[in-house]
Amino acid sequence: MLKMLRRVADQRRHANGEYAWLFRPYTGDEMVVIDTETTGLDTRSAELVSIAAVRVRGDHVLTSESLDLRLRRPDSLTGDSIRIHGLRGMDLDNGESIDSALARLLDFVGNRPIVGWHLGFDLAILNRELRPRFGFELPNATVDVAQLWRRRLRRRHPEIDSLPRFESAAERLGVPVMGRNTALGDAVTTALMFLRLERTVAAGS
Amino acid sequence: MIDLDLSQPPFTLLDEPGRERVRQGVDLAYFDRDEIILEAGQPGEYVFLIHKGEVAEIDTTQPAARERIGHYTQGDLFGAISILNGKSRYRFRAEQESLCYLMPKALFLELCDAYLPFAEFFRQSLAHKARLLTEQRAEGGVTMAGFMLAMVKECMREPLEVPAATTIAEAVVTINERHADSLLVKHSGRHGMITKTDLLNALVVDERGRDTPLEELGHAELITVTPEKYLFEALVIMTRHKVERVVVMDQHQPVGVVELTDVLSYFSSRSYVVSLQVEQADSLAALIAASKRTPELVSALMAQGVKLRFSMGLLAALNGRIINKAWGFVIDERYHADSCLMVMGSEGRGEQILKTDQDNGLILADDLEWPDCAEQMQGLTETLVKLGYPLCPGNIMVSNPEWVGTVSQWKQRIARWAEARDGDSLMRLAIMLDSHAMAGNPALLDRVRDDLFARCSGNDLLLSYFARIILRFSTPLTLFGSLKRPQHGIDIKKGGIFPIVHGVRVMALERGIRPTSTLERLEALAADGRLEPRFAEDLAEALALFTELRLKQQLARREGEEEGEQHSTDRVVVQELSSLERDLLREALHIVKDFKQRLSHRFHLEYS
Repeated sequence: MLKMLRRVADQRRHANGEYAWLFRPYTGDEMVVIDTETTGLDTRSAELVSIAAVRVRGDHVLTSESLDLRLRRPDSLTGDSIRIHGLRGMDLDNGESIDSALARLLDFVGNRPIVGWHLGFDLAILNRELRPRFGFELPNATVDVAQLWRRRLRRRHPEIDSLPRFESAAERLGVPVMGRNTALGDAVTTALMFLRLERTVAAGS
Repeated sequence: MIDLDLSQPPFTLLDEPGRERVRQGVDLAYFDRDEIILEAGQPGEYVFLIHKGEVAEIDTTQPAARERIGHYTQGDLFGAISILNGKSRYRFRAEQESLCYLMPKALFLELCDAYLPFAEFFRQSLAHKARLLTEQRAEGGVTMAGFMLAMVKECMREPLEVPAATTIAEAVVTINERHADSLLVKHSGRHGMITKTDLLNALVVDERGRDTPLEELGHAELITVTPEKYLFEALVIMTRHKVERVVVMDQHQPVGVVELTDVLSYFSSRSYVVSLQVEQADSLAALIAASKRTPELVSALMAQGVKLRFSMGLLAALNGRIINKAWGFVIDERYHADSCLMVMGSEGRGEQILKTDQDNGLILADDLEWPDCAEQMQGLTETLVKLGYPLCPGNIMVSNPEWVGTVSQWKQRIARWAEARDGDSLMRLAIMLDSHAMAGNPALLDRVRDDLFARCSGNDLLLSYFARIILRFSTPLTLFGSLKRPQHGIDIKKGGIFPIVHGVRVMALERGIRPTSTLERLEALAADGRLEPRFAEDLAEALALFTELRLKQQLARREGEEEGEQHSTDRVVVQELSSLERDLLREALHIVKDFKQRLSHRFHLEYS
């Protein structure tokens, strides 16, 4: 409810601004899958290390139209997170500033629906960075693949009530994990999982 | 994109910027099982590169059993030809859920323009595939050059039959009138053959009169073939029996004669020339010269597309004659009747194509006295080396006293091996099971083998130990598709040839089946009801495929050796095979797996 009010307020404020088009309803047939790598798991303090986005049109994952952004080294980059995403401080030497990265992301995503795995986490961090810089949060429609998968599991196996894991979901959907723990790899894997889930739902199974 | 492997052809024909364009330019798409990815007649919009899954290429104009003409798996590429041709000739259907990279037509054509070798690659494989396809269509999978398909009945003469009372003088007149070389004589219900040489010998050597009736001349047993045999087989038979003509019998009636000279006019290839050279060799030096030429013959037969089974038959007969002649040159004639040279291993099974290591042994009559036997055997081994048969690394040779013995000594050895059942003994039993008499008196070997079968056929425990060896090597099916480097290739000798040969050998032992060649054993097992004919046929086909793949590598290595290269010949790198070959190999390995399961079940190997 609060979210919706915020979005309405954001929309009104930006009605004539540079980003007004982001608030218009989307009529195309594309979606954008996003994934981020961060320095931690706490949405209040974790900082962005890389952001990736890939478009999905119909049955195709448009890897040829993808965005793979590395950011400038954040202060909170420590050994713990480096172990996961494999991006060392020196790998980020030529990283982009967060301002330009977010601007490119907004351009790439536009008003298309956003898809992601545990999307809430990525959105929380992105929005935390967006609001002070652009004055709004992402207004797009969202689809959380983790939730889709969980719903599917519950329907078929009501007894299971654990948090779905990324790798096991990919395995059970028969999707190869592409470049795990790189933002673009995870985004592509998520996109493939999303297509599989959509397909099997459409097929009535 | 991230997991796109561009380290294989045709992408190796691009440079790094070119590969980067591929990585940047491809999309991903999922296809469900049985989903049609590209329909026949549809214009090609993408080149598909399979990341995961399997795709069948289907010729929709063919009946269902033959429609699958190609098979693509991880790392394979399809759709390029459809783009080059404007539309797809075939239907591509996902056999499993498949994930493919899609390279748009525009990008593909740009790359073709920018990189000539890349464009060339697709034209070449098109020609290659087209050739495979025509071969498959021409013969339903059998690839034999036209002349190899000639039947005996197409090349036989009318038989010239005369009554037994005909005199030598009358016979000569008849032969001259009919321009024949031989006569068939019906004598007390049986047929015999009289040749010009026989008549000459009777007149000159034996000083018989011109009026002697033919029935008084002795005649050798008839060597016969049936009219439906391939002419090629008739040649094999003539080579084996050292005769120059065979009689064609149809339901116990002679219907024709095939003369060597007639066959010659059919086979102008060098195959016959080599066997003729071997036959005519009157010195060791001449024999060595002839023996050196057999690899040429193999290459020629392979190039002509002669089916492996026939090449194997011809080569086995030829090797047999070479070894037999060597024996004749080296061993004193007085010992010939009381000793038997046996060959074993692939030579014994008649499955040796290129000359491999010597595997041989000697059986002596129990009462034979032969003081310098060891020296003569040493000489024989050395002679065989000169003839191109390398020494056996396991020392299974007549120069080793362990592989020389009297009939009773051999029987004792077999009893000891059957008792011990350890790895070494089982291997020796397997070797003896494949033994085949090559020179000397074959009855000696028969006696030893009779004893072997009597002792082992009913021994279930021994059979089970014997069969267990087939489980030693796993069937390399799971490695499929992910192999990239030669050293990780599929070992077809261990994974394919050995399980079939040994499994069939065990079953043959169990059923007391005497032939040593795997193909003959399979036929006998099918006739015996031990194997369904269909399955026996499949196993034979699978074996032929493995042998052929291996032979190709061996021939390639011979060429490589001249350029100083070294490869293992037992390993096949799946990626180097065409899709069609890969498909066949996969099916053959499935048959092996099935066979192993049956054997496990039959000999209770699952509990051990």
